[in-house]
Amino acid sequence: MGSEKTDEELMLAYAGGDLLAFEMLYRRHRGTLYRFLLRTLRHRADADELFQDTWSRLIAARERYRPEAKFTTWLLQIAHNLIVDRFRRQRPQASDEESEAVFRTLDAPDDEQPERVLTEFEQRRRLQLALEDLPDEQRVAFLLRVESGLGLEEIAAVTGAGRETVKSRLRYALARIRARFAS
Amino acid sequence: MSTHDRERDMDDLLREDGGEIGRLYRRLPRYEPPRRLDRAVLSDAARAVHSGKPPRRQRWIFGIGSAAGIVLAAGIAWRIGHDAMSDKSIIGPAREVVPVQPISESARRKHEDAAPAEAPAPAAATQAPAAARDEASGASPTSDAIRQSARKAKTMSKPAPATAAPPPPAPKQAPVPVEAPLPQAFPEAERHQREAGAESEESTRPYGNAANPAAQGATDDKRSQPAAGAARHRQGLSSPTPPSGSVELQRDMQLAPEAWLAHIRELMRQGRSQQATESLRLFRRTHPKRPIPDDLRPLLD
Repeated sequence: MGSEKTDEELMLAYAGGDLLAFEMLYRRHRGTLYRFLLRTLRHRADADELFQDTWSRLIAARERYRPEAKFTTWLLQIAHNLIVDRFRRQRPQASDEESEAVFRTLDAPDDEQPERVLTEFEQRRRLQLALEDLPDEQRVAFLLRVESGLGLEEIAAVTGAGRETVKSRLRYALARIRARFAS
Repeated sequence: MSTHDRERDMDDLLREDGGEIGRLYRRLPRYEPPRRLDRAVLSDAARAVHSGKPPRRQRWIFGIGSAAGIVLAAGIAWRIGHDAMSDKSIIGPAREVVPVQPISESARRKHEDAAPAEAPAPAAATQAPAAARDEASGASPTSDAIRQSARKAKTMSKPAPATAAPPPPAPKQAPVPVEAPLPQAFPEAERHQREAGAESEESTRPYGNAANPAAQGATDDKRSQPAAGAARHRQGLSSPTPPSGSVELQRDMQLAPEAWLAHIRELMRQGRSQQATESLRLFRRTHPKRPIPDDLRPLLD
């Protein structure tokens, strides 16, 4: 059955001319990729543009795909490269000093942090705002973890950073989110 | 939040469900790409698989190659056609080039007009170049007929107009110019022509065919004139027009080759060796492929 095929098998099938394999692959990853782009870029038009660019590059490079690489990692690597290019053209990255300031805020006593009493709607809203405020690298790492379900090594492979760097970015991202809930 | 709490958050995040933050994230709106993006991506994928188009650069190569092939084929076809036309015109018989009828008709008409007033016709014929020179220099001519003959001889000595000139009304009574009633200015030539006609009917037959210039002059001459010119050019010879512009030499050119040679022999017998020599030279230029008889060869030396 086609639905039982792995992403890698489907990609190889498409590289061999099987258009149905591509459609299945697309259906599996279209939502995840789009949300990752949209929440990373925080701009729908940019997300639309890079979404199409990502798939176009994948299509153009279909014959170079090797199953040694996990398909999800390959797809997100393409998307991440496009994101980095876009960020470089748009605005500078958040500095480490800003991140440290967030952590100082987070170190406040628990009784001064009222997040536990927030409604679920308010929690979602604050999480969304927290994601938007995250520095790009931290947001990418966080989204790759929670949206795409990648592990530390996979995030490192996608972003080209070391494993510990990824872990640090995730830690900073969590601290910022907690700070948003505490504000 | 303590360091311990942060490490706990981190561990929770790395769990399968993403911990508390992960669960909260999954409750955020699940945005989906718009349908237009789905269509665009899927059509891209289908086009890449089904079209099988070569890259743009290769399409350029195919286009240029096709255009070059067409140009090459057209050039070859044109060249073949051109060669075929050239061969056809070169192979054509050079003998038929001789501008026969227009000259004879005009000359005959002029001489018929002038015949009653002329006394020594051969002298008038031989003096035509001189008359032409006199006319050009303003000297008074001895006779209008001579002047007209000379003028005609001068104009008809040009090869191209002779062939391009529209033929006069077809003289039914003279299908073969050499057999037409000749003016008294050429009694000897008439006799030789008739002798030659009697001697070799075969040799006059081509001229008999060419003697209807109204039907053939405009086509055959145009077709064969370049061929004769090309043949003469290949042999390094000049135009076969009489060098002296003599009406008699013009008329000699109308004769069949055998008749012409007989006429030259007759000129020799009459002691007119200069005239015979000129006529033989003209014969050789007009019929370059025809061998010169041994008895006439000394005239060329």
